[in-house]
Amino acid sequence: MKSNFKYLILAAFSILCACDDQIYPDLDDAPEVLVVDAWIDDLMKDQVVKLSMTQPYFQSSETKSVSGAQVYITDNEGNRFDFVEEGSGNYVWSPVSDPFGTIGDSYELTVISGEDTFKATSMKNRVPTVDSITFEYNEDKIFGTVETYYSAELWVTDLVGEGDIYWIKTFKNEEFLNKPSEISLAWDAGFNKSAPFDGDTFIPPIRSSINPEDYDDNDEFISPYADGDSVYVELHAITEAARNFLSEVQIQTNREGGFGALFATPLSNVPTNIINETSDKLVVGFFSVSSVETNGNRLDVSQVPKEN
Amino acid sequence: MNKLLLAKLLVCFTFFAQAQNTISGYVKDASNGETLIGATVLIKGSSQGVITNVYGFYSITLPENTYEVEYRYIGYQSVVQQVDLTENQRIDIELPSESQQLQEIVITDTPEDLNVSGIQMSTNKLDIETITKIPSFMGEADVLRSIQMVPGVATVGEGASGFNVRGGSVGQNMVLLDEAPVYNSSHLMGFFSVFNPDAVKDVNLIKGGIPARYGGRISSVLDIRMKEGNVKEFEGQGGIGTVFSRLAIEAPIVKDKASFILAGRRSYIDVLAKPFTDVFDGGAALNFYDLTAKTNWNINAKNRIFLSGYFGRDVFKFDKQQGFNWGNSTATLRWNHIFNDKLFANFTAFYSDYDYELAFGEDELDKFRWSSRILNYDFKPEFTYFMNPNNEISFGGEALYFKFEPANVSTVNVGEAADNSLPSKNALETALYISNNQKIGTDIELQYGVRFSNFNLLGSGMTYNYGDTIPGVRRPLIDSTSYDSREVMESYHNFEPRLSVKYQLNKYNSFKASYNKTSQYIHLVSNTTASNPLDVWNPSSNNIEPQIGHQVALGWFRNFGVDNDVEFSAEVYYRKTKNQIDYIDGAELLINEYIEGDLLSGDGRAYGLELYAKKNTGKLTGWVSYTIARTELKVDGINNGNWYPTRYDQAHNFKTAVFYDLNKSWQFSANFTFLTGTPTTFPTSRFEQGGYVVPYAYGDGRNNFRIPSYHRFDLSATKYNKTVRKNGKPKKFHSHWVFAVYNVFGTKNPFSIYFTQADERFAAGQPVDTQARQVSIIGSMIPSISYNFKF
Repeated sequence: MKSNFKYLILAAFSILCACDDQIYPDLDDAPEVLVVDAWIDDLMKDQVVKLSMTQPYFQSSETKSVSGAQVYITDNEGNRFDFVEEGSGNYVWSPVSDPFGTIGDSYELTVISGEDTFKATSMKNRVPTVDSITFEYNEDKIFGTVETYYSAELWVTDLVGEGDIYWIKTFKNEEFLNKPSEISLAWDAGFNKSAPFDGDTFIPPIRSSINPEDYDDNDEFISPYADGDSVYVELHAITEAARNFLSEVQIQTNREGGFGALFATPLSNVPTNIINETSDKLVVGFFSVSSVETNGNRLDVSQVPKEN
Repeated sequence: MNKLLLAKLLVCFTFFAQAQNTISGYVKDASNGETLIGATVLIKGSSQGVITNVYGFYSITLPENTYEVEYRYIGYQSVVQQVDLTENQRIDIELPSESQQLQEIVITDTPEDLNVSGIQMSTNKLDIETITKIPSFMGEADVLRSIQMVPGVATVGEGASGFNVRGGSVGQNMVLLDEAPVYNSSHLMGFFSVFNPDAVKDVNLIKGGIPARYGGRISSVLDIRMKEGNVKEFEGQGGIGTVFSRLAIEAPIVKDKASFILAGRRSYIDVLAKPFTDVFDGGAALNFYDLTAKTNWNINAKNRIFLSGYFGRDVFKFDKQQGFNWGNSTATLRWNHIFNDKLFANFTAFYSDYDYELAFGEDELDKFRWSSRILNYDFKPEFTYFMNPNNEISFGGEALYFKFEPANVSTVNVGEAADNSLPSKNALETALYISNNQKIGTDIELQYGVRFSNFNLLGSGMTYNYGDTIPGVRRPLIDSTSYDSREVMESYHNFEPRLSVKYQLNKYNSFKASYNKTSQYIHLVSNTTASNPLDVWNPSSNNIEPQIGHQVALGWFRNFGVDNDVEFSAEVYYRKTKNQIDYIDGAELLINEYIEGDLLSGDGRAYGLELYAKKNTGKLTGWVSYTIARTELKVDGINNGNWYPTRYDQAHNFKTAVFYDLNKSWQFSANFTFLTGTPTTFPTSRFEQGGYVVPYAYGDGRNNFRIPSYHRFDLSATKYNKTVRKNGKPKKFHSHWVFAVYNVFGTKNPFSIYFTQADERFAAGQPVDTQARQVSIIGSMIPSISYNFKF
């Protein structure tokens, strides 16, 4: 919905010209700050907590990792999960027979690095199954140009009871769709608390949020999916705090150029749920535990009806 | 001592003993009968005089005698009338414009000197003639762009809607069109204003020393008055421009008694393009239009009624069912009643509505519709009592009913309809005011008054209680209370003293000072760089206190030359504001029932020096305006609770507009603007989170850098076509061409700088490239041509 609106505005402005140029301003030097990147889920794969330091904004090289830390998670039932350092700042816990955590339990992350002890908490919430992913053939006429393309649709029915929050992570041909504009969040089957769609099928903008938006070198829209492409979706149940964090990450990273700049919000720091219990030393990042349901499909155009 | 007392008594005695009579009436334009606002009525040979009010009415009471009364108005010839004041007299005067030649009346040539002699400071009046002369964007004369040429007015940047006065935010300006507030004054974001110059008579911007009759906003009042319509003869005017086509007609309904004006504008790029492109097939649309209508009826010498309306809309549609539109509509009914020679009354009732609507959806089974609106109903009685030449008392009141519909949302999801509308909110704002304009001797003039305002948030509805503010974090909802219909949910009131003083040193010099307190009970909630059509107004509540503003201003006013060839003013001001709204990081402002938990409140301060010099006479006219200013906010949870500059803070703001009349056929004008770059926030560092690269500003600063400064030069030339026929007879049809170039040097002026990751898909593990980018809204020169006519 948001992006639809922006698209409309941009179309409206296309009669004027806006210029958008890369510049190279000098930024202030700043001390490094510890970064905790701890997004834990219950998929049967290595669970990683990554520790690194912030770096100058224009420095695109690999992050400076933090080694020698002690990392573990405890739950409210007295269990402890130790994360073992595996280099490059990665601290790993591997599931053996059971996935991480139990729905309804609360978890506390502890990171001891140098003199400081950092803590954060999260809940593991319930998640519905992903019913199916379907494909659709489209012939859209937008401002005179006919676009024909294949898009995918995600079919999930929200669990009854308000306040289920989801993060939809989409993979196309096994590649995570990681553009900031592709962060997709749902509150029950809708967008937010004020307009809940409790227990419903995900509403259309969320259903279609699993489509990558790419343009070729000539700025022509690329069909989100082509014959033979696979789509795979991880539906993460997350906490309200994690949703607010991701929503803020999207605001801060998905910056529109051109006329979109008229509607930009001020740059500000994303929140963190990591607390330094021993000193004033700053820390950024987030700790989240989620339960996950997945599903996938592969586009076979011969199976998709073309009438529309 | 005794002698002095005696003398005083004697003065009093003579004052009361001598019979007092009143001259009153309207001052009008001789060519079309339009009343003239702010025309001067002077008693020759004395320092006594008055100014016509917003309805063109004046009243002056004097001892019985014979007087020479002089009527003056800028751009018009002055008229002197001999008055034998043996009884009350009603004198309606019509002033010929400078180009007209009329006999029978003694015509003098003394120019205006209101800059020095008027009490009102911090005020800029622009007549429509000046507005149409300023080189304009796309060749469209524009009211809001013109007022940006005067000191103390800034904007966030090109294309941003609204304007900022003396460090106030966009939502703190009261924009009035014939008394009715206009909530969004822009077409196509901020490129064009919604006011059709063909229908506008008078534009007055009050930046300080706000009289008691105005209330409801804390920063400024932009009072726009529409033409009444020619009561003498049919008249039409219009134009074909780059963006709009315009047509206005005005005519008497009953000569000298009743008339109307009807003015419309529509953008026509879509109409022109239709034959050549299929862009608009399938229901797509892109246009904006407005319609202004007004009629008035002089019932008799004591009663006059006006009915005016405005309707405008911007429409963008993808196809038949998807798109959005927004617009204002207002309707104003006014009744001027002259109770007697000394008591003038105006009763206004208005309706104002701003709404927008968005619609998306593929088909009937899946669609989404969202609309929002703010509705006003208002009744406003206002009285002016012209007690004597030295005291003019204004008093009145206002009752304004608001209905806010923050979001009406209807969704059809896989064939199942759902209504997720937020409840509407109702409020009543009432006010009483009294103010006196008093002259003491020949040098001192005072305007003092008070406005008492009261605000009630009315049920039905819910109030929410939130937890304490933890800087920058959404306040948690604790509990809520439900209220029945018409029940008072929250109530506020304020005493707002207003004071202005003028001390006239001599004919050419005066000093003025003013103080005003203002309060504002409704709040424009907008955390984007520029305010946009989707912004929602929120009433004060248990969580949002009314905004309060205090302003003091001091000024020196100086005229040069016998004909007041050059007017000069220097003003300093200091503004202090309370309960200024800001937002938590990641605030969700649209379709959010719990929006108040996302709002922060803080203090504001602004100060500045404004210099203004204007040359009125000769072939070369124009003005130079310079402002040095600062405007800051201090909000818990932003910038570590320290003061930070607002997004529209500009240290230096220099503008000049120059007009040169070469001859009867050609007139040239030029603009130059220089602005300090506005502040913005730069990050220092970056970090990765879940595969995303997030900017990080160490130290949590806000608006700690500035974008580069802005400068722009515009030119225009007007070619007036012949107004006389070959046989020497004057033509009824007048026309002129305007050739304009906006941004002559094609300067890529920065609008903003943003930080983002490069727009490409990065593979997992591949370092993500981050960059800074600068946006220019207009990056080239924009030539335009328009043809304007009058018949």
